Amino acid sequence: MGWSLPVIESMQKLNKPYVVVSYPDFEEYAKEHSIPFVSYAFNEWSDSSNSLDLKVKLDAFGADVAVPLFEETVEWAGALNSLYRDDPRVLNRAFLFRNKAMMKRKALIGGLRVGLFEEVYNKEGVKNFMNRLNQANLQIDGEEDSWVHIKPFASAGTVGHRLLRSQSDIDTKCQDDEFPCLAESHLPGREFSCEAFIHGGKIRFMNITEYVKLGYSNFIPEGNYLHTKREKILKEMQKLVDLFGIQYGMIHPEWFLTENDELSFGEVACRIPGGHILELCGQAYGFDALAAFVMCHDPELTEEELQQLLPPLDARPETFYGNVMIYPHKNQISKLVIPEELKEESYFLDHNLVPPLSSQKISDREGFGNHFGTVNFKGEDPDRMTELLLHYENVDFYH
Amino acid sequence: MQEEGVISESNLASFDELFENYKSATSLTRGEKAQKIMGQLDTWCGTLQGIREVYQRIPDLTEAGIFKGGPWEHPDKLVPQLVNGTYKSGHPNSTIELLSELRMLALLEGEIAGSEEQQEEADSYLQEVLVHNLEFVFNEPQEETRLAMSAHELTKVHALFQFILEKIELSKVKSKLVEELTLICEQRPVVTEKQRRIIALVKEKIELNPDDPADMELLAFQRVIYKPSPGVAGKDHLAYGKALNRMKIETLEEEASALGNSMLQFGLVSTYQAVLLVHLVKKDYQELIPVCLGLNPTGLARFNEFKDFVCFLILQVIHPFNAQCIFGLAKMLENGIISREAVRSGLFNLTKITVHPEVARRILKSTRTPHEKVTPKQYLIGALFRILGQPLGVGQGNNPTCQSARGISMWSQHAPAKLIHMVQTAAVYDNLSFRFEGQEISYSTTPAGLVQNLDHHLDAVSVTLVPMLDRVYNEMMRRASGRGEDPHKWVNPGLYGQWIQIGFASAYDYLSNAIVDFDGFVRVFYTMCHPRFNGGHRLVYPNPVGIFITSAKGEMLGFHAVSLLRVDEDPSGVVRAYFLNPNNEGRQDWGQEIKPSVYGKGEIHGESSLPIYQFAARVYAFHYNNLEAASKMETIPQKEVDKVRKLAKDSWGKSYTWLEIKKQW
Repeated sequence: MGWSLPVIESMQKLNKPYVVVSYPDFEEYAKEHSIPFVSYAFNEWSDSSNSLDLKVKLDAFGADVAVPLFEETVEWAGALNSLYRDDPRVLNRAFLFRNKAMMKRKALIGGLRVGLFEEVYNKEGVKNFMNRLNQANLQIDGEEDSWVHIKPFASAGTVGHRLLRSQSDIDTKCQDDEFPCLAESHLPGREFSCEAFIHGGKIRFMNITEYVKLGYSNFIPEGNYLHTKREKILKEMQKLVDLFGIQYGMIHPEWFLTENDELSFGEVACRIPGGHILELCGQAYGFDALAAFVMCHDPELTEEELQQLLPPLDARPETFYGNVMIYPHKNQISKLVIPEELKEESYFLDHNLVPPLSSQKISDREGFGNHFGTVNFKGEDPDRMTELLLHYENVDFYH
Repeated sequence: MQEEGVISESNLASFDELFENYKSATSLTRGEKAQKIMGQLDTWCGTLQGIREVYQRIPDLTEAGIFKGGPWEHPDKLVPQLVNGTYKSGHPNSTIELLSELRMLALLEGEIAGSEEQQEEADSYLQEVLVHNLEFVFNEPQEETRLAMSAHELTKVHALFQFILEKIELSKVKSKLVEELTLICEQRPVVTEKQRRIIALVKEKIELNPDDPADMELLAFQRVIYKPSPGVAGKDHLAYGKALNRMKIETLEEEASALGNSMLQFGLVSTYQAVLLVHLVKKDYQELIPVCLGLNPTGLARFNEFKDFVCFLILQVIHPFNAQCIFGLAKMLENGIISREAVRSGLFNLTKITVHPEVARRILKSTRTPHEKVTPKQYLIGALFRILGQPLGVGQGNNPTCQSARGISMWSQHAPAKLIHMVQTAAVYDNLSFRFEGQEISYSTTPAGLVQNLDHHLDAVSVTLVPMLDRVYNEMMRRASGRGEDPHKWVNPGLYGQWIQIGFASAYDYLSNAIVDFDGFVRVFYTMCHPRFNGGHRLVYPNPVGIFITSAKGEMLGFHAVSLLRVDEDPSGVVRAYFLNPNNEGRQDWGQEIKPSVYGKGEIHGESSLPIYQFAARVYAFHYNNLEAASKMETIPQKEVDKVRKLAKDSWGKSYTWLEIKKQW
């Protein structure tokens, strides 16, 4: 559910029956390329546009599993899978992934470490939340405010995510139309994400993505230090899977690891992660991560098939694949400049940057904004990879 | 230390990995994977060694289909003229373009299998690409190229052309250079920068052999710039100036005659000629001045009539670094414009003005190497000589301002004093006003026109006037739009003047959004201009004509403004339309074998020409005498109309609906 050419290609290669459900815009392309397709307006929910209606359309293709590729198809897939599996809780679980406050509560109940959080409905609410947080942190007059993050309940990734460092930030950075939101205390520690491929309620393969800088760069597999925590992470991950009752599919939570080895839960999604993570993951571990993502949703998948699709749980690749997303540093740009040093960089793999339209103006960033392209690296040393990614984040590719 | 340009093992391996991914992808994601390959290859191309590595991989990349489904797919459909622009658009296009050139080379060298004919085609394609990209071949980018391209892109394209030059016979390129220079010079353009650059580059970078026939022609071009007379040998213009003081009158006469003839050969003037001309005026060698100007008898008579005034102008304007205008001055004397009192007064007045600082800035920006001793006013008057002397040499540069260029050319021929006065007003006040339908339109109070960033590869008169004309034209268009007809019906006479005919024919009908009664349209066109059907009449004034521009495949590209100057038989008896195309490009291909010629088919310098039916097949609007057309329309044979109609319908006509109802012309 959702339009993704790489996923369609992976399905074609697997030779498994599939049908793509997406917006009518893609219908013509699908027809031209003989891609089985059902056109559906995900943004409309009515008497004539709903999961029961969609199911009827999909029955013609013999569909029995729905796979959400993007955030906005998560509930739709949840609803269909509820019908297919005859289990209403599957839909409720989908709602869980779509509401950041609900997922936090669920995590808290299950004993995962989370920050202080609250649902807020306006700027006043954020101010009160920050005040209470300051109180709890025993703020003395003149000391800085405690940091607060706000995120819309249902947005993907970094969209609408704002870090508020002071009371005055609340006035300047928050827009009235962005509420309601989840407000939460700032979690200290190193941030990373996990991609756990789950079948029959068990984690069958787990990747750890090291975030060099959130929204900018990551690499796979995890570096040496994070790797020493792998067992601990795997345990917490299985806890999360059990707690959320996830049977099939892939989850992509974000975690924070403090210096004294405590893991805090950030948030979790069950669609294809951003930042080209599955692409890096597939390259590093040498498997078709998109095919595996789709197939793990199928309860009928055999053990043998699973083993063919997924790398072993304890695999540790020797080559690291990393990427840095490139954003223009200026408001007005006119050309793409590939820096000389990149040409001599042996870790450089590829990039897909394109020149701007003549004198393009950069609109204000939403979340982390749209990146202009990605530069990929590969190499044997994760420390050098980290250095490179940090460095290129600050290189100006657009003048 | 690593050898320069050697691609590291890991980068070579990265290419292999990306290439494998590409080959295993289906058509759905191939584009994306090809882009990644381009990203890696792009970084290799900064050195000759890197280009070599890419070249080795070209057969495999081609075989794998890297060009499939894109504009570069078919080597035989590529257009050498488009290459330059593609390089300027940067990566990834420039990288694919580079691969495409290497594929041609591989085809030529037999690395990629191809028929003898294909090899031949690849050879001529590459040569033509070289000729159109001399700035990259010699790594001397024009200013606009420099602005558009990053340092890496420039190195990359330069490395490519170095590589191609290594592999290609230079002698074949030489003949293309001669052809290119001839095509440019035969048009006698007002701006001579391009041919001068090619001549300079050839001098600097290519060893010429006086015994090789192709070289002799190139040497002829070099001579007019570097050694136009016996007396200049081994001297720069300063040394030449000193030498003149010691010359006897016989030697001076030889010099004057040599320089005058040299200028007439290609319409190019050397610095030496300015030195000599000023010397002759200052020393009062009056009878040698017309020799130095290379004047014909008419010109000589006019010179003798206005001797004092011409000498005054020479001393005011001519300088070794403003020498090219000598040719314009000579042509001005020959075409008689100088005989008009209003013209002489206007020119005299111009010598007294103070140029507005903003206009001075534009003029200096348009001058490639402004010289401190030459004032903006001298450049401006010099450019005016050129425009008045070579009205068909006016060009629009790289600007969408064909309308303005057409106007300047038209006024230069038929209202020179009006043009001079416009130049004067614009230069002094950086402003210009026009009357339009009883109201005033002023440059300073109207919003921007078609030009966003003026390309300054223009003459000083054009950089002064065009920004203003463009805005005024745009404002007229705005005021005349929404009347259910092409606004040019009113704007053409408003902008160009009252000699534009009242009748206005348009093939396109605004109300029905279709081509209506095209047969009638063609008939009116023929009665307007074809001497066999209009009573044997000649055209009196240039007719502002709107044409469809079509690609080499005949596809509709857009609209363009030209002036139809005359319709006449060429030396072989073909009736041709001779027109001014302010585009100044001698190698146009409009598809369907329609290729405007710029010389050799009876053209006067600066004219383009086409057989009349081919020209008619691209016209969509023109002016005509509405009292006259109806009576003659039926005399045009249907066969001729059908010929035009077929060409039109099979090309730009595909973009329109055609309605066959008759209309009243």
